[in-house]
Amino acid sequence: MSDLSRHLSFAHHPRRWSHPLAVLAILASLSLLIVATLAQQARANTTDGLMRLDDVESGTLLLHSTEPGKYVPAPLLATDVKIDVTGLIARTRVTQHFINPGDGWVEGKYVFPLPEDSAVDTLKMVIGERVIEGQIKEKEEARRAYEEARDNGQKASLVEQQRPNVFTNSVANIGPKETIIIQIEYQQTVRRDSEAFSLRFPMVVAPRYTPRNVDPQLVDFTPGEGGWGTVIPQEPKDHLEQPPVQHPDDGPLNPVSLSVTLDVGFPLGDVVSSHHAITLTRNSDDARKANIHLAKDVVPANKDFELVWKPASMKAPTAALFKERVGDEDYLLVMLAPPSGDVLPEAKPREAILVIDNSGSMAGPSMVQAKESLLFALDRLTPRDTFNVIRFDHSMEMLFPSAVPAHGENLDVARKFVRSLEAEGGTEMLPALRAALQDRNAKDSSRVRQIVFLTDGAISNERELFTEITSGLGRSRLFTVGIGSAPNSYFMARAAEAGRGTFTHIGSEEQVTARMSELFEKLESPIMTNITATWPDGRKTESWPNPIPDLYKGEPIILSARMAEAKGTLTLQGEVAGKPWKVNMPISAGETRPGIGKLWARRKIEQLEADARIAGNWNLHDDEILQVALEHHLVSRRTSLVAIDITPSRPDSERLTRKDMPVNLPEGWEYEKVFGPATGQAVPARFAAASPRLALAVAPAPAADMAATGIALPQTATDAPALIRNGLVALLIAASLALFWWVQRRRAKA
Amino acid sequence: MSLPSAKKAVALLGAAALFLLSAFGTWQLGHGLYIKAKAELAQVLLERAWTKTLEDGKPHKAWYWADAWPVAKLEFPSLGVSQIVLSNSSGEALAFGPGHLTDSPLPGRGGTPVIAAHRDTHFSILRDIKNDERVIITTMDGTKHTYRVRQSRVVYSDNSHINPRAAGGLALVTCYPFNSTQTGPLRYVVFATIVDDLI
Repeated sequence: MSDLSRHLSFAHHPRRWSHPLAVLAILASLSLLIVATLAQQARANTTDGLMRLDDVESGTLLLHSTEPGKYVPAPLLATDVKIDVTGLIARTRVTQHFINPGDGWVEGKYVFPLPEDSAVDTLKMVIGERVIEGQIKEKEEARRAYEEARDNGQKASLVEQQRPNVFTNSVANIGPKETIIIQIEYQQTVRRDSEAFSLRFPMVVAPRYTPRNVDPQLVDFTPGEGGWGTVIPQEPKDHLEQPPVQHPDDGPLNPVSLSVTLDVGFPLGDVVSSHHAITLTRNSDDARKANIHLAKDVVPANKDFELVWKPASMKAPTAALFKERVGDEDYLLVMLAPPSGDVLPEAKPREAILVIDNSGSMAGPSMVQAKESLLFALDRLTPRDTFNVIRFDHSMEMLFPSAVPAHGENLDVARKFVRSLEAEGGTEMLPALRAALQDRNAKDSSRVRQIVFLTDGAISNERELFTEITSGLGRSRLFTVGIGSAPNSYFMARAAEAGRGTFTHIGSEEQVTARMSELFEKLESPIMTNITATWPDGRKTESWPNPIPDLYKGEPIILSARMAEAKGTLTLQGEVAGKPWKVNMPISAGETRPGIGKLWARRKIEQLEADARIAGNWNLHDDEILQVALEHHLVSRRTSLVAIDITPSRPDSERLTRKDMPVNLPEGWEYEKVFGPATGQAVPARFAAASPRLALAVAPAPAADMAATGIALPQTATDAPALIRNGLVALLIAASLALFWWVQRRRAKA
Repeated sequence: MSLPSAKKAVALLGAAALFLLSAFGTWQLGHGLYIKAKAELAQVLLERAWTKTLEDGKPHKAWYWADAWPVAKLEFPSLGVSQIVLSNSSGEALAFGPGHLTDSPLPGRGGTPVIAAHRDTHFSILRDIKNDERVIITTMDGTKHTYRVRQSRVVYSDNSHINPRAAGGLALVTCYPFNSTQTGPLRYVVFATIVDDLI
C-alpha cells in the first residue's frame, strides 16, 4: 500500500486530479452496479385492434379476420337486460343486436364471461329472418355437427364452455350487412356481503377485467429453422378484413334498457341503485317483492349497473323455499339467512389453536408475514378465550401442553416464542396437523375450537393430510391461511373445505392486517354450526352441498335438493352461538320458480368437480358430469349447445323481434365519450372506437379468479445472469484501473 | 507536508475502492456461478431419488431437508435433454429443477399440467424448442406421456391464459425475454398437446 502511494505521489502534477476522479469513477460505477441489480423492468404496454379469444373481457361478437386465430369485434348496436331475482338466484336474459359490417358471409364468435357459478342454458339467435335455438350435446359431437353444417353453408351456432366462467358462441354463415340478435340466458347467485345483497351488471369493461390486458405476442417456430424463432410484432390495425363501419348522423350511444324484478325471500329493506337513477315499485301485498326500472328508458352504457338491497332486520334466522318440477322429479331451493342486526346472540368463547410453518420454504418475506399474522391473531384473543401455538418444520413444537387462557403472561410467552421463530428445515405438516386436531376437551360445547393454520403449503402427502382432516376434525374447524406469493392454494382451499373452515390468502405484508381482520371477524362471530338437513324421504333425496358448511357472519346457506315428490317436512337443525336451533319446513308449500332444477344440476357438477380435484384425478366424474349436464340442458366442460337451422319461429319474448336498427356507428363513438374517461386507459381508444363492448356478466371478485386470467405463474428467472454480468463488469473495471495505475507508475519512473 | 498526506489519502481511497470493486465483482460472479452450478448438480442428486421413486412408486426426497421431491421426468428427445421435475414451483424448488405448479394436475390425471423453470438454468432450452417436437413426461408410476409442441406464446404472469382444466394439454413456462438480466412480468409459454399413440 505504501509502495503504491509513494509511486502515486510521484505522479505528474497536472495529472494529479485524475486520481480523485478515478476514485470517483470507481465509486460511481459501484453504485451504478448496485442500482442496476435492484432495477426492475418496467411493464411494457402494447396494444392492437385485433383480439384473441382469451382477451375478451365482456360479451363480444367476434368476426374472423385475415389473421388466423384473431378476430375483429362486431359493432354492438343495442342491448336489453332483464334480471329476475329469486331468493339468492338471479336469472339474467341479455338481448343484444350486432351487425356484420362486411360485404361477405362470415363466421362469428360471440364470447361472454360469466361468474364461475353461473349456468348457461339458453341461447337464441335471430340472423336475418332465421331463429336458431341451441340444443345440448356432448362436446365433441356438438362441434362435429356444427362444423359439418358450417361447411354445408347452413346457418349454425355453437355454445361452448371454455373455462367455468368464459363461454363462446360460434355463428356460421352470417350474411353481408345482416343484423344479428343474440339472446342468452344464464343463472347465477346473488352476491351477499353481511347484511347487503347486491347484483352487478357491468356495462363497461371494468378495470379489474383489464389489467394491462394486451394481446400476447405470438412466437412461432417454423420447424426446421434451426430453433430460432421471432416474436411476431403486433399487426397494424389497417390489416383488418372488416373495415370500421360508416357513421350516421346521430342516435343514442349503445343504448341499454334494463329492468329487475326482485323476489328476495325476506321482507325487503332499502333498495338502492349505486350509479343509476331507478324507479322502484314495491309490491303492496308482499314486502318481499319489488320491480325496478331505469328512470330513463335507455341509458348510455357508461357505468356499471349495481343494485343493492337489504333485508329489514330479523330476530331469528329466516328460511325461504322455492321449487320446480322437472320431469318426474321435484327440485327445491332452500335458503337460510342468518340473523342480522342487534339481535345477534353473543358469540361463544373460543379455543384457538394457532399453527405456524417455519420451514425453509417460508424464508424471507413469507416468514415475516406469517409472524405478523400470528401476532395479530394473538392480539385479537380475549381473556375468555384459550389458545395454544404450534410451530413446525421437519420437527414440531407445541408451546403449551394444552390450551391456556389468553391473558397476561401466557400471551407474552407466546409473542416471544413467535418473534424468535426462524425459517429453516423441511416441511413435515402431518404431525403438526395431528397435534392441532387432537382435542383434549372434545365434549366441551361451551367453546368453539378453531385451528388457524399458516403455511405456504409446500407438502408431499396431500391425500394423507386430507384423510387426517376428515377423520380427525370432530368439533374443530380448520382455517387455512396461505402465506407468500405462490402458496399451494389448491391444497389449502381444499383443506379448508374438508376442515369446514375458510381459506385466506395473504400475498404481501400490506395485506396482513386487512385479511386477518376479515378472518377474525368471522372467527369471532360464529353464528350457526352443526347444520344438518333431514329430508322426509331420507337418503333418496339428493341435496347439495353435502355436508352443509357452518354459517359465518353474513353468509347465507342455500340448499339444492332433488326428490321424487316434494311433500312432508324438512327439518333443519343447527346451533346458533351454542343454543340449539331447529326449523321444520313443510316442503309442499314453497313457491314454484323456474330454474331451480338447473341450479341443482350446476351445484352437483360443481361438487363433482371439486371431488375429482381432491381425488387428484380430474377426469374422475366426467361421465356423471356429462349425464347431469345433458339431462338439465346445461353447458359444461363436457357439453355444448348447438343449433343447426331449426325451423324459424319467433321467440316468445317480443324484445327479440327485430326492429329497424341503424346500421352505422355514430361519429362520436370514441371510447372516452361512450364509456367515460375513468376507464379510458383500459382499452386503446382507436380499438374501442370500432368496437364498443358491453359486458354481460356480474363481475366475479378480482382475487381467486384464476379461470378468467389463467393460472398464475411463478417467478422463473434467477439472479445468476445479472450477478455474473455485474461480477464481470466490476472485475473488468478493477482490472482496467489497476492497469491504468500500473501504466502511470511506469511513466512516472521513466 | 499536507500535499503528500493528501496524496496518500487519495491513494489509499483509490486502493480501497479498487479492493471493494474486486471483492464486489468476485462475490457477484461467484454467486452467479454458484446458482448455475447448484442447478446442474442438484439434477444429479434428483436423478438418484427419481430412480428410487420409479422402483417403489413413492416420493423420495433427494436430500432430507428438501421441500420438494421428484414427481416426473421431463424429456426433450430432439434436444437430447432430460430433467427431473419437482413437486412444487416455490423459489426453493426452482433453484434445483423444473417445478410442477400445484394448481394444475399432474400428467395422466386430466387437465393441463403446468411446469415452470428458470430461463437461465433448466428452461433456457425452451427457446430451442420448435413446433411439432415431442416432449415426453414420465410420471411416478412409470407411465410415459408423449406431448407434441403446438405453439409458443409470451404472456403476463398474472394473465397467463393457461387453463389447467383444459383437457390433454401441457404448458411449459419460463421467464421472458430469455437474455434479459432483470426479472419481469413476462412469461414464455410452450403449449403442447397429448399424443395418443405412444410411438
